[in-house]
Amino acid sequence: MSIRLQLLLIALTTLVLPWAGCEYARELETTLRKSQESSLQAAAGTIAYALAAEPQRVLRDVADTQPFAADLGDFYVYPLHNEPLLDGYREDWGLTAELSALPTATDYHARLIAGSVDRYLFLYIEVDDARLDPEPADVHPEHDHFDRVDLTFQWPDGALQAYFFATAAQGLIEAQTTVRSEDGTDHAAPEPRIQAYWRQNSHGYHLEARIPRSLVGGRLWIEASDGGGNAKAGFLGSDALRGGRMFSLTAGLSQRLTTFIGAGTEATVVDENSFKLGVAGAVSPTSIEGQPAAGTTWFRRFIADDTSQWPLQVVTPDRLTGRDVSAALEGHGAAEWLRAASNQEALLSVAAPLLINGQIRGAVILEQAGDRLLDLRDRALEHLFDLTLLATALSLSFAFGIAGWISMRIGRLRQAADGAIGSDGSIRSRMPEASRRDEIGALARGFERLLARLNEHTQYLRTLGGKLSHELRTPLTIVRSSLDNLESEGVRADQRGYVTRAREGILRLQTILSALGAASRVEESIKQAERVNFDVRALLVSAVDAYRDGFRGARIELDTPPDACFMRGAPDLIVQMLDKLVENAVDFCPLSGTIQIRLRVVAGNYELTVENDGPPIPTAMLGLLFESLFEHRQGVDDKPHFGLGLYIVRLVAEFHAGRATALNRADGSGAVFVVKLPLV
Amino acid sequence: MGYDFSMKKLIAIVEDEPALRDNYAAAFARQGYQVKTYANRRQAMQAFAAHLPDLAIIDISLEDEAEGGFDLCRELRVLSAGLPIIFLTARDSELDAVSGLRLGADDFITKDVSLPHLAARVAALFRRIDALKRPDDAAEVVRRGALAIDVEKMQTTWNGTPVTLSLTEFWIVHALARNPGHVKNRQQLMDAANVVLDDNTITSHVKRVRRKFQQSDATFDAIQTVYGMGYRWVE
Repeated sequence: MSIRLQLLLIALTTLVLPWAGCEYARELETTLRKSQESSLQAAAGTIAYALAAEPQRVLRDVADTQPFAADLGDFYVYPLHNEPLLDGYREDWGLTAELSALPTATDYHARLIAGSVDRYLFLYIEVDDARLDPEPADVHPEHDHFDRVDLTFQWPDGALQAYFFATAAQGLIEAQTTVRSEDGTDHAAPEPRIQAYWRQNSHGYHLEARIPRSLVGGRLWIEASDGGGNAKAGFLGSDALRGGRMFSLTAGLSQRLTTFIGAGTEATVVDENSFKLGVAGAVSPTSIEGQPAAGTTWFRRFIADDTSQWPLQVVTPDRLTGRDVSAALEGHGAAEWLRAASNQEALLSVAAPLLINGQIRGAVILEQAGDRLLDLRDRALEHLFDLTLLATALSLSFAFGIAGWISMRIGRLRQAADGAIGSDGSIRSRMPEASRRDEIGALARGFERLLARLNEHTQYLRTLGGKLSHELRTPLTIVRSSLDNLESEGVRADQRGYVTRAREGILRLQTILSALGAASRVEESIKQAERVNFDVRALLVSAVDAYRDGFRGARIELDTPPDACFMRGAPDLIVQMLDKLVENAVDFCPLSGTIQIRLRVVAGNYELTVENDGPPIPTAMLGLLFESLFEHRQGVDDKPHFGLGLYIVRLVAEFHAGRATALNRADGSGAVFVVKLPLV
Repeated sequence: MGYDFSMKKLIAIVEDEPALRDNYAAAFARQGYQVKTYANRRQAMQAFAAHLPDLAIIDISLEDEAEGGFDLCRELRVLSAGLPIIFLTARDSELDAVSGLRLGADDFITKDVSLPHLAARVAALFRRIDALKRPDDAAEVVRRGALAIDVEKMQTTWNGTPVTLSLTEFWIVHALARNPGHVKNRQQLMDAANVVLDDNTITSHVKRVRRKFQQSDATFDAIQTVYGMGYRWVE
């Protein structure tokens, strides 16, 4: 992995900042929720406490602790926003609530829903009685049989007042009461204050009744009965004086609640049956400070709690349920997060028990949009995100720049290290970056030291041959002169073989020593060479003629410019160099191959090329060929090969301020040696 | 050979390497020479002051004196201008130093030379001494234009002016001048001079020869280089 990539990865770790921001935001959200919960709960507790001080203004009947019992005829009176038309239809009530069935022991079914506006109690009763048993014209209510709906009110003082609805035909009717005349017969007397609309259809009839509040007592029992038989539904609780309670909003409580709460909060008081006693305020979607809600910011999906698992808010017009409400009714305050039924937004609902005289008589529930405080947080977070993203971008580009710079420097260093040993075997120990004070500079200096040591070592190796050759020469001379003496003294014929072998050994040793010392001798003689002006072309023509005589096996071709090519230098050395190049070429050229010698003028240099067919030079050898004593050939003859030839080529080229290089033909069909010699 | 056997010639060998010294001494003694050996310059000079040898073979580096042989040669020349002196060197590079110093040595050869070759050169030097002692006769003289080579006396003249050549140089000139126009390669020149030298040394010998001729005649260019082959004498 490149340094650039590595540093980029490191820079990417700055993305931890936004992540940490998210984590922080999550914690913040939790904290905010908790604090919202607790503050709302405190408010709920305060309201509950305040309300408990005046229980009669909260509860319908402080003394009545009996739970709601629909089978005894208890029912809820829904608050209605508008006074509905009395037309036998309840579509204009604006209620989604279902009708509740009146208890029945027979299969005669009737259903009821009740509502109230300021002055009236509305009842809407559906009775499944397809056949209308009409009320006779002169009715005796206690003896005649006809379809009727009986209402029995009980006043707080215990007095009962009964009314009934009956009709001969569909239409607007009045309630009637049963009056007893002096003769003991019963009659029906209309009560015009209580009006109803009787609507008949194929299943039965609908009765929509309007009763002034002033006529409504504490309890109301409702019974629908069939004129054609004993079938009835409902309950004439006046028998037992149980049930028939009307649960409804407590008058004035909603207004009182309004004084307790601020904007954006909905307060609800329920009784122990969860029936709403008072409702005030509304969970407004508008955020605080009057600014519009931020809506869903793009990052909220990363940080927000998963709300989809939250229970959906259940909205019913009569009751308020939920875990928090149940908990409060069991005596302890609780909070619950919901999704609002209307828009799925987070909704906080807290409930506090309403304790009256030490008894749990209901609960105060406060609801608030859960996202209100989060908006504030979101705005802060948005800033945080912008800042961290900016920081990340900055640090990324900075890391990228640094990485590029470092890898560029290392690249330069690598290039210099690659090229430190030139194709001619020379060692350049100067490194780029060495003057820098950082680690890369230290590395470069390390390279320089290494190369300097290598250079010293190479120099030592170069001179080693000469020194060895010199030191070994004297003992060799001793051996040979001793042999000379031995032969002169006379050697027996059977001993001659040993002497001959000893001489052969000496000869070989001498050749080796001569080769070993040749480098230093050549260097010596090159130092003393004289420079003259001479014609390289004439020299080449003459020398190549000689080579054609000398190396009869190879075809040697010469290609020179047509005119004389003068240069200043040592012609002897140039010839010596050429000798070595041609010897080398001949060694590698196959029998039918060609050796091409070419002289050209290229860019201010004479370029002398000796090219031969044959095997290419191994790439690894190319830079070493011109080293002293370097030998990559496996000798095919017995002559020791010390590779001095190409070293001489290099020395001669350098003496003439030129350069010798070796390369292979592109198609691998042979080797090319190029010597560049400056014209001047 | 034309010298007196009754009077044994005295050869002084100054060489610090005992084994080599003894080998040379044995070889020359076998040839009928009287041999005296010295290990250093001091011993040698003491002996030479008392009695001059007929020929001196001197190693250049002597014990602790790297160029003791040169000093010895200079001191010996003071004692005798005509004494034949042969330098034996271990290093090829010293050859150049010897010639450069113009110490008046008659020959300088590397220790690679074989004993028979060394003996032949010593004999040649003695022959030259003898020939110089005799009056001029029409001995074998090779003439090539301005060049005259007296093979017997091993003397060379150019336009009548003597050119002082060492033995090796003499043989080289002789080999070239005998067949003018013929190219002699380095091996042939080495064979003629009875020496084993490498190519570069032959080149520097030829160069020195040219310089010596040019001292008497600045226009001398009778020895021509044939690149890749060798040298030839042109008239």
